[in-house]
Amino acid sequence: MQASLIVDALKKQGVTHVVGVPDNGARTLFEALWADGDIDVIGVTREGEAYAIASGLYVGGITPVVIIQNTGFLETGDAFRGTAYNMGLPIVMLMGYRGYQTLEPGAERVDTAASFFEPTLKAWDIPYTMMDEDSDVGQLIDNAFRTASERSLPTAILLVGTTT
Amino acid sequence: MLDKYACLKKLAARRGTRDAVVTTMSVSMPWAEITDTPLDFASVDSAMGHGADFAYGIALAQPERRVLCLNGDGSTLMCLGTLVTITGRPAPNFTLIITENGTYEVTGNQPVPGAGSVDFEGLARAASVQEVYTIETEADFDAKLDLHFTAPGPAVFIWRIERADEPVPKPSAPIRQRAHDLRDALVG
Repeated sequence: MQASLIVDALKKQGVTHVVGVPDNGARTLFEALWADGDIDVIGVTREGEAYAIASGLYVGGITPVVIIQNTGFLETGDAFRGTAYNMGLPIVMLMGYRGYQTLEPGAERVDTAASFFEPTLKAWDIPYTMMDEDSDVGQLIDNAFRTASERSLPTAILLVGTTT
Repeated sequence: MLDKYACLKKLAARRGTRDAVVTTMSVSMPWAEITDTPLDFASVDSAMGHGADFAYGIALAQPERRVLCLNGDGSTLMCLGTLVTITGRPAPNFTLIITENGTYEVTGNQPVPGAGSVDFEGLARAASVQEVYTIETEADFDAKLDLHFTAPGPAVFIWRIERADEPVPKPSAPIRQRAHDLRDALVG
């Protein structure tokens, strides 16, 4: 997936801030955001901070997205529940799907990040879609913002593979 | 040592009508008894440690307002990374007040880790916060009261306060409603 397409799609939605932590899958996405400069990137020391800061940004009247890896989402727990979710805020999050390829039948499992990821999203009642083709980027991001707004709850896009 | 209630009354009296205030844990109930405007938000339901992050996000979104967060020492310790995050993208209108009494007050004053030995001013300075003030006396508090609203943010104030016995805070309404009401007050 081309990082520039994602940046353009986020700008089309009026995104003002990205809050998150870079991972290997989204490395070039963060680089594209920094290079583009139109969207402010707030780096955090731990993923739980990202949801609280994004919640403050939204309550303050602007449009953030959260970009973290699935491992980071598993870390967020009470921070996600106690801010974005319980506050009922339509925050879109893009999450790197570490370990996705290991879910193939017969593939070697290197860790449990992928195993627990989607079951956790379902347990939290978070709607999600997977993004792995350039042709899907604009539509999926548009859909995610619409779903988040309609439910007034966070919505996820899972980044399968790496951005380029 | 400072009297928390006296400090809160003075802070509320000095506060401007456009300033937003996020409170946590043992400060929330006493603050609500002094002032309860649409720009007050009690971060007490959950996500302990992230009230300061929430307030920082508001400050970034609303640069024309002063945004203050009254955070406990236990809450601060739960997310020390915040001290670093707020310097990465400074919000000149953000003030973080750490009320230091060495205990988790609302659960019965059990000691926080490092009580009496943690140097919050040193932690903030090491995180490269430039405006850091530790206040222990009423006279010093009075002298620095204005700075809470005028010092270039992120500004960190450590209030060394006497221990008290606060009940478990009870929010006035579900957090979903309060968050959306706050947004209306900030944006509307």
